[in-house]
Amino acid sequence: MISAEKPATQTAAGPAKIEIRNLNFYYGETKALKSINMALPARSVTAFIGPSGCGKSTLLRVLNRIYELYPRQRAEGEVLVDGKNILDRSQDLNMLRTKVGMVFQKPTPFPMSIYENIAFGIRLYESLSKADIDERVEAALRRAALWNEVKDKLNASGLSLSGGQQQRLCIARTVAVKPEIILLDEPASALDPLSTAKIEELIDELRADYTIVIVTHNMQQAARVSRQTAFMYLGELVEFDDTSKIFTSPQQKRTQDYVTGRFG
Amino acid sequence: MSAAGAERQDSRRERIVRQFALTDVIFREVSRLAAVVVLALLGGVALSLALGSWPALSTFGAGFLTTESWNPVTEKFGALAPIYGTLVTSAVAILLAVPIGIGIAVFLTELCPRPLRRPIGIAIELLAGIPSIIYGIWGLFVFAPFLQATLQPFVIDAFADIPVLSSLFAGPPYGIGMLTSALILTIMVLPFITSITKDVFDTVPSILKESAYGIGCTTWEVISHIVIPYTRVGIMGGVMLGLGRALGETMAVTFVIGNAHRVNASLFAPGTTISATIANEFTEADGVLYTSSLIALGLILFFITFIILALARFMLMRIDRKAGA
Amino acid sequence: MSSVTYPRRKLTNSIMMGLCVLAAAIGIAWLALILGALLYKGIAGLSLGVFTQMTPPPGEAGGLLNAIAGSLAMSIIAMLVGTPIGILAGTFMAEYGRFSRLTVIVRFINDILLSAPSIVVGLFVYEMLVVPMGHFSAIAGSFALAVLVIPVIVRTTEDMLNLVPNALREAGTAIGAPRWIVIRSVAYRAASSGIVTGILLAIARISGETAPLLFTALNNQFWSSNLNAPMASLPVTIFQFALSPYEEWQQLAWTGALIITLTVLGLSIVARSLTGRKEDR
Repeated sequence: MISAEKPATQTAAGPAKIEIRNLNFYYGETKALKSINMALPARSVTAFIGPSGCGKSTLLRVLNRIYELYPRQRAEGEVLVDGKNILDRSQDLNMLRTKVGMVFQKPTPFPMSIYENIAFGIRLYESLSKADIDERVEAALRRAALWNEVKDKLNASGLSLSGGQQQRLCIARTVAVKPEIILLDEPASALDPLSTAKIEELIDELRADYTIVIVTHNMQQAARVSRQTAFMYLGELVEFDDTSKIFTSPQQKRTQDYVTGRFG
Repeated sequence: MSAAGAERQDSRRERIVRQFALTDVIFREVSRLAAVVVLALLGGVALSLALGSWPALSTFGAGFLTTESWNPVTEKFGALAPIYGTLVTSAVAILLAVPIGIGIAVFLTELCPRPLRRPIGIAIELLAGIPSIIYGIWGLFVFAPFLQATLQPFVIDAFADIPVLSSLFAGPPYGIGMLTSALILTIMVLPFITSITKDVFDTVPSILKESAYGIGCTTWEVISHIVIPYTRVGIMGGVMLGLGRALGETMAVTFVIGNAHRVNASLFAPGTTISATIANEFTEADGVLYTSSLIALGLILFFITFIILALARFMLMRIDRKAGA
Repeated sequence: MSSVTYPRRKLTNSIMMGLCVLAAAIGIAWLALILGALLYKGIAGLSLGVFTQMTPPPGEAGGLLNAIAGSLAMSIIAMLVGTPIGILAGTFMAEYGRFSRLTVIVRFINDILLSAPSIVVGLFVYEMLVVPMGHFSAIAGSFALAVLVIPVIVRTTEDMLNLVPNALREAGTAIGAPRWIVIRSVAYRAASSGIVTGILLAIARISGETAPLLFTALNNQFWSSNLNAPMASLPVTIFQFALSPYEEWQQLAWTGALIITLTVLGLSIVARSLTGRKEDR
């Protein structure tokens, strides 16, 4: 197996789930990520922080290759998930994405019922009985702490939910296809404080089963939910360490300036 | 899950993945083909017209464009009269429709009481969709007799002694003719010009208008110095689009033009346009040369409208980009 | 200084604004006159017989049944041919080929086709179908109408799919759905009312088209269900009857014109209300 050739790197928090080696990313001629190297531990929350335009979202979008939807965007280098390079041309994109789920900045319920929003992803690759799907839908909604709020209106449109509920629906939808990694792209930036708190609570619960990567512009949020934090600036990975270290005793001056609010 | 079960699951997934990839390729290529069909349609129109008009064009040469005679008996055909009629009726229609259309757009964006704004705007857009045959039948039965009885005799008398105008409005009052066609075209293109002008007026940033009002400009000054210069290109695009409509309009004109292959200075005289000639004569045309001459007229029309419409789209694209930026 | 020029500027403003009101009054009154005349003359001949009887020979009473049926038949075939092509082409432009050069060209050409003179389309179909087949036919008429349908649907489909937020496509892609499922289950659904609007507008567009039918489907005085033969249509019948000297025919022409106008207005209003509701949300 490939993993035998490339033994998983050990991180401080255990064996690496995702290992990024010498990653460069380009929007046309513009280089947006410069030689990123990092290893993200399994079953743990990693936060990417940095001022806007620093490349944190770009890096996240490499991990499930969602950037492939657009022309003139390309990645160079290696991103190993469980030792297998996902940037390899032989990697099937749809399979990659069932393994690496993603939740977006704004809630994106599909234009269908709450039930269908979740069953849609399940049915893609699995042919299950109606009862099995019902079960999976319920489990996913429970996982996203949404079941009690929507169990009586599963046939209502996903768009009829509040913003916070929609975002939890999106998390349920992602969880339902049984990914191993979940990418969160500023998942609470469009939500009110109460909904934000619920989402953060949820991330905390999901941590035990999934490898979670979250991009946030909110440093308190990074400090609250993540175990490791990566600070990025101008397309470079400035510092990557335990969250507590990044926020209390950063090694780099730029990191310190940023987390103490001196710029950014 | 047992190892065998997991394997089964994996091979199932692989099969699905392959299916998905194949369907994706098929769907992409079929939709690409449909897009190419759109290109092929326009190409087909151009090609079939060119081929169909070849007998006529090779017989008459460039003289086809400058010959007034249109004689099915002697098989001598020239396009001058229809071209002249098409250009004159469309030009008159645009000259009348542009100020009225801009006026209505100004009325709708600046003057109209707010509750009426939407209904009137919608009504005008709905009217743009009314089939041209309706305008034609109204023109023939209502408008032409009305003009014949009232406006035309009056104008002929009034301008009888004035040099240029007397020949422009020379009698007798038929009712039908070039001017009647032009007026019908005016009312037909009016909704187009109005709604496009209104749309481009809406692209003017309100901050710009407010700044002008802020230094004490009157409504008219804001419109003439700010709104119209800012939207000039877009308005021109709308006008060109209307012109394209007017040039190619068939049915409304066919009813009231009079179908006379003559170049006549008088706007009251019957004339013909390219589209009216084709509509009136095509099914009755016998002989290769006659049919081919009619198709050659179609080719000329296609050529003229293509250029006008391309210019219109180009201009509207520019205003879109401006609004988007 | 301002006090010197201000009265004149104010007067200019009043005059110009007055002219604008006048323009609006003229335009609206003119259009109202046309619709008024149409209603007045059309309703006079409206009766059940119009829908149940065939077009009469000169000088006799009759209806428009064969013309209405012919229009319906040819419109349905045109929609069946044009809608899939239009939607697929629009889909290519907004989805698979969103960033491709082909899309830019097709969009430009489609816009030209959208406002190209319909009589030219008639000539095209005459050359392409009528000449090889050797005779006029309902098939040729339907095809001519389909050529007019396609650009309308291409345009609205592309516009409406472009309005679907990219985030929704990314979300579909992110759970592992292949592109065609994202298009089918997410993008089409999100744009459905807009696409239906386009289809309705296309029906409205062709239901009054006369010029492209004149020398493709021709006309037929009698009932015909043979697609390989000339077929009557409402617009061509109106054209023929209106220009005839017979009063009964002229009356039927007015009534037919009223029917077409009501159909077109009805379709446009339904189409508008579909997209209107979406804007409110």
